[in-house]
Amino acid sequence: MSNFMFDGLHHGLGKVLDLRMSQHSLTATNLANADTPGFKAKVIPFDRILAEVVDRSQTLTMRQTREGHLPGLNADPSDPQVDEIEAPPWAADGNSVVAEREAVRLKENSTMFTGVSRGLSRRLAMMRFAASDGTR
Amino acid sequence: MSILDTLEITASGLTAQRLRLQTVASNMANARTTRTDEGGPYKRQMPVMEAVNNDQFGSALDQQLAKVEVVRIEESTEPPVMVHDPGHPDANEEGYVAYPNVNVLEEMVDLMTTSRTFEANANVIEVTELMATQALEIGGR
Repeated sequence: MSNFMFDGLHHGLGKVLDLRMSQHSLTATNLANADTPGFKAKVIPFDRILAEVVDRSQTLTMRQTREGHLPGLNADPSDPQVDEIEAPPWAADGNSVVAEREAVRLKENSTMFTGVSRGLSRRLAMMRFAASDGTR
Repeated sequence: MSILDTLEITASGLTAQRLRLQTVASNMANARTTRTDEGGPYKRQMPVMEAVNNDQFGSALDQQLAKVEVVRIEESTEPPVMVHDPGHPDANEEGYVAYPNVNVLEEMVDLMTTSRTFEANANVIEVTELMATQALEIGGR
């Protein structure tokens, strides 16, 4: 409790917002290139990142002795890998962007963004409440 | 990478689709044009699109972002449609007229997909604005 104001959660929520914004840019890229031959749709695999993070809390992480070293399996998920979706064999131009799927991803992503930003706001409101002696 | 970059990517998508719409309009308008400056019938125009990397030196994620660019507009290499019409002023010795290699039905399908893709891109702009506004409201009341 003593660490309420500056615990890792604020940082974590901020990172989630960053990641969601990045996913949004990727969706914009995908839709802009919906007709570019050979273009592969790109996504951030949020479920896999979550699984990795959960996994990381239970196992040991590799220590990086130098900045340039590869981080190993349990890396910091803040600069994640981006997955490329392969085009189905019947796509004549090799483009793997499916407009409907991108539309859903767009909506899902913005909903998650809203949720996290509201959560962050609530937390800040709690801090304000505490800092103002509970008067408002 | 910022919100403005996202908007720029989307704008490139809108531009590309608008250009595509222009070629569709040109193809439809000239579906029966038998005379051009280069001689011969009109040839179907097709935009060639290319994904252009936004930021070569950015983070791994930034390098994945790409605008779309119409690099050039090419003419279809399909042969013209030969129609037997001896009375036509542009008919050859055998009475065949070379009409453009434009299939109006194909152009209609192109028109529809263009309009849908344009819509999807326009939608991204709205959502971008929404997310930006929400980010600005964090900590407000």
